[in-house]
Amino acid sequence: MLLEAKGIIKTFGSFRAVDEADLTLQEHELIGLIGPNGAGKSTFFNCLAGDALPDGGSIRFRDREITRMAPHDRARLGLARTFQVPIVFDGMTVRENVMVGAFLRRPHRHAAAAKADEVLAFTGLAEQADQPVTTLGTPGRKRLEIARALASEPTVLLLDEALAGLTSAEVETAIALVRRIHESGITLIVVEHIMEVIHRLTQRVIVFQQGRVLAEGSPADVTADPRVIEAYLGRRAGRHRP
Amino acid sequence: MKNFPRVLLIAAAAALVAAPFLTGNPFYQRIAALTALAAISASAWNLIGGYGGQVSFGHSVYFGIGAYASLLAYTKLGVPPIAGAPLGVLASFALSVIVGLPSFRLRGHYFSMATIAIAALAEVLVTNWGFAGGAIGLMGPASPRSLADLLFRSALPYYALFVAVLASLLGFTYLMQRGRMGFYLRALGSGERAAESLGVPIRRYKLYALLVSGAFTSLAGSLYAVMVGFIDPGSGFGILVSVNMVVMSALGGAGTLFGPLVGAIILVPLEETTNALLGGGSSGAAYVVYGAIIMLIARFSPGGLAQWWPLLSGKGRRGAA
Repeated sequence: MLLEAKGIIKTFGSFRAVDEADLTLQEHELIGLIGPNGAGKSTFFNCLAGDALPDGGSIRFRDREITRMAPHDRARLGLARTFQVPIVFDGMTVRENVMVGAFLRRPHRHAAAAKADEVLAFTGLAEQADQPVTTLGTPGRKRLEIARALASEPTVLLLDEALAGLTSAEVETAIALVRRIHESGITLIVVEHIMEVIHRLTQRVIVFQQGRVLAEGSPADVTADPRVIEAYLGRRAGRHRP
Repeated sequence: MKNFPRVLLIAAAAALVAAPFLTGNPFYQRIAALTALAAISASAWNLIGGYGGQVSFGHSVYFGIGAYASLLAYTKLGVPPIAGAPLGVLASFALSVIVGLPSFRLRGHYFSMATIAIAALAEVLVTNWGFAGGAIGLMGPASPRSLADLLFRSALPYYALFVAVLASLLGFTYLMQRGRMGFYLRALGSGERAAESLGVPIRRYKLYALLVSGAFTSLAGSLYAVMVGFIDPGSGFGILVSVNMVVMSALGGAGTLFGPLVGAIILVPLEETTNALLGGGSSGAAYVVYGAIIMLIARFSPGGLAQWWPLLSGKGRRGAA
């Protein structure tokens, strides 16, 4: 088991955003985390990444308890993430942004720059390397976040809606990139609410609803599950679908 | 032609450094020394405030510690004032740890407000502390007992000393800027959450930056006290001391190597000449100018003058291509 979350609870006031959710992740898997808006998948995701501390439950990563570990220590252990709304480092070039990630395992400037260039080529950003990061649009920024996370040489990469807000052509390049990352040996969790993307990309899907895991299985099984259809489309749609 | 601006710049810098030795005018020599001194504290502020993006309005507390350390060492122990400088640096380290760790949890404006409060508190404490001269302050030696008292009639020896300290600070900044620490500081300054997710131990790096920044600011305070031979709570801990560092950095370009120096080269002569022209009674006039400068930078050029440099050196066109 590479990553395991058990009975995660996260409350905001009296509201349980995540209510005893579980997740297991094997090495080299590529799984999807889906659910309607407000289902708690982002909060759960933040608990895994260390941006939110759970009020209950435990998280283990590579045989270590990381439930209350700071995000920077998780990164060192090999858990990287991207953000739903990209956070770029203004005032730096694209390459310098990626170097920040590369410095984690390569303390020397030249080694970090070499790693950054390698990742920029891999993610298709090589041509923009010397541009100020502020010249990138949303698709470029999302790709930059992935590049930056890859530069930290993670074992597991958590992608938070890396494909949301992209045009269909951009989605295609992004899907191809995620596949290449997976093929390079990195384990991925992809949070999405575009069902089609999840369908094409992942081997296993976890469906969230009201802070709980509603269903889990192959994309085909999960999308045929009446409970899942109901959660997405409402009760009547769920009942009338064959 | 590509290296033309660089060659020109090096020549201009060399001329600028040497100029005070060539002029025989003590007024200009004094301005040069004060400019170098202001550049030290502004460049020190720049480490945490510019690169790290943690805008401190309370750096006078370090300046005051350094200034008082040297004159306390002289008045209480009878040693040359400069011997107090290492004590000031040690005190600045202690303060950075005590103040930095809790205040680094605060973000943005709240951090700035906390730093103002700390400096204001220090000013009040020192004003009421009889041992340190209270509101009257402390005096340095009236006449040199030995060379170690660093008491010179001319400003030139001070100028040489300050330029040496400034050069080592800028040398450190240059190396830091190119290496991991510089990248980490700039990253956490513009996006803490993202920096943290990439493995940057945010609070540790803020503390590293504050330790160096505070130490050099304290050293600037000691050097000031050695040269001027007098310190009181206002000139050591007053908010204007902090504002000076912030405005100089912002004018020249916060988070750039030479920004604070450029700011000092513009503002110190401006302040000294207006003071001389308008007479002692209107020595506050410079701060009216400071206020106007802050507004103009905020409105038209948030990156300071450094923002315009790429246009002059031709780098801007390459970047846009």
